[in-house]
Amino acid sequence: MKELWLTPTQLPSIPVEAEVISPDVVTGKTLKEIEGFKVYVGNATYRLGEFFEVEGEVAETAADQMIVVDGSVQTVKYIGAKMTAGSILVKGCAGMHTGSQMSGGELVVEENTRDWAGAEMKGGLLRIGRDSRNLTGAAYRGSSEGMTGGCIVVDGDAGVEAGSFMRRGMIVVRGGVGPFAGVHMNGGEIFVFGRASRRLGAEAKGNGGFIACLGEVESILPTYLYDTTYTPAFMRLYLRQMRDELGIEESMNFIDAPFRRYRGDLAVGGNAEILIAEKR
Amino acid sequence: MSFILNGVEIEDTFAEGFSMWGSRIIITAVNRKWANVAATTMTGFATSVIACDCEAGIEREVPPEETPDGRPGTAVMVFGFSRGRLTTPMLNRIGQCVLTCPTTAIFNGLPEEEADEMLDVGKSLRFFGDGYQVKMRMDDGWLGRRRFWRIPVMEGEFLVEEKFGAKKAVAGGNFLVMGGTEAATLEASERAIDAIHTVPGVITPFPGGLCRSGSKVGSTYAFLRASTNTPFCPAIKHSFPTSQVPEGANSVLEVVLNGLDEDSVKRAMAAGIRAATEVEGIRRITAVNFGGKLGKYQMGLREALGGA
Repeated sequence: MKELWLTPTQLPSIPVEAEVISPDVVTGKTLKEIEGFKVYVGNATYRLGEFFEVEGEVAETAADQMIVVDGSVQTVKYIGAKMTAGSILVKGCAGMHTGSQMSGGELVVEENTRDWAGAEMKGGLLRIGRDSRNLTGAAYRGSSEGMTGGCIVVDGDAGVEAGSFMRRGMIVVRGGVGPFAGVHMNGGEIFVFGRASRRLGAEAKGNGGFIACLGEVESILPTYLYDTTYTPAFMRLYLRQMRDELGIEESMNFIDAPFRRYRGDLAVGGNAEILIAEKR
Repeated sequence: MSFILNGVEIEDTFAEGFSMWGSRIIITAVNRKWANVAATTMTGFATSVIACDCEAGIEREVPPEETPDGRPGTAVMVFGFSRGRLTTPMLNRIGQCVLTCPTTAIFNGLPEEEADEMLDVGKSLRFFGDGYQVKMRMDDGWLGRRRFWRIPVMEGEFLVEEKFGAKKAVAGGNFLVMGGTEAATLEASERAIDAIHTVPGVITPFPGGLCRSGSKVGSTYAFLRASTNTPFCPAIKHSFPTSQVPEGANSVLEVVLNGLDEDSVKRAMAAGIRAATEVEGIRRITAVNFGGKLGKYQMGLREALGGA
């Protein structure tokens, strides 16, 4: 895998829209061409080279390309947006829309991301080393589908509306989530190891979708119906996968845990599940 | 027309195998006992398609670290004459023997890349949930799409994979162990079965892997399409005009095996024959065939044993 290094030099205080930071865009280009990529700051157009020092090697295909962003770029938006293959490592924070609509490859942010990380993601792996802000893996306003595939792992906390309108795919939050996690979800899985805030799964329809709460739950909507407390075999597949594929060892603390099963949101005739691990 | 292996005469002949569709599944349960109970029940009355709906057997016990859900598992293989005649018994047997068995879950044991077809087994079984079944989608766009069904049952929930791999496989691998006494023949055959089960992708569908009656096509009775293999019955070796039981042999057991491919069956036959020859009192080992008229595969004993 060939590495292309982008070292931030002088970033403006207002956001830089840089969807060109993607293996799909840089492959087959020269370093000079990459420096000349257009980025947008407000209503002005700049060159990528005005904000980043560009070094390293460029691969022929996206799958063989790794991009390392060597520093915090919390005001740089759309890093890895729509990427289909390859990998990106951000050695710091990343801005809004990181990995949005990505459909393949791996994107790792060592620290925080801002809103809309992994929004409408279709595939691949997005890993956020600390917190992600609001609308992680969510649907853009007006869209009926959020995530339709892939996996987002947030090692810290996630803000409001994580996984809104989720259809397929998986979100794992090792910390807590803000209100309205899984709102309108219609498939997919959300795992929350920390505290799950109120309005969990509001207006969720179901379609095999569930929210698994492995930590404290602030409240359950009255439109969710408690069914039973049991130890579902299927949960073992996810918990083992989290350990084996994502290195989340604490998942195995719940391998034999009983879960309280709630079904809803009955306000919309939904059949989604909220599964809450019993305290052990 | 024969050769010697460990002092035992091996007839230079071949086992005649034929094509069947085969599938491999993994049953898991809360402990080894229940995984084996489900597997044993599911593979009951599945020795031969002469009178059973399929041929099935336990391939091996699968340790927890190798099963999808990390519980003890048992791998089962099922064989049928066509995709349809494989799917139906699988549906019936999983539905009646595994779904009903406490704590079990069932997974595909033949990955799509190795299979010729994927059978909609779980997809059909889901209707047992009577509308309350839940479709489980895993790994879309990430590790490779997987689909399961969660079916509510009185004890909890039954988990079944949506599709099971099936491929054109080989049935009818066999060899006959002929010994001086019943005890020696049984011991040699048991050792053969143990050796065969070290080869992956192979089952021995008869009781304990052994068929004492043998079988031949047809009988003197018009209503009976198969009968015991009278040429190999020692009790009538001097009464039956073309008996093939050698002098000194007073008991014969047939080892029958099916596998996912010809190579696996041959390797298993070789392992079984070698193990059987290590027992004192075995007079001859041969194989059953129909002169090459019935089956597609001719698995020579000399060839399987590597020209021994």
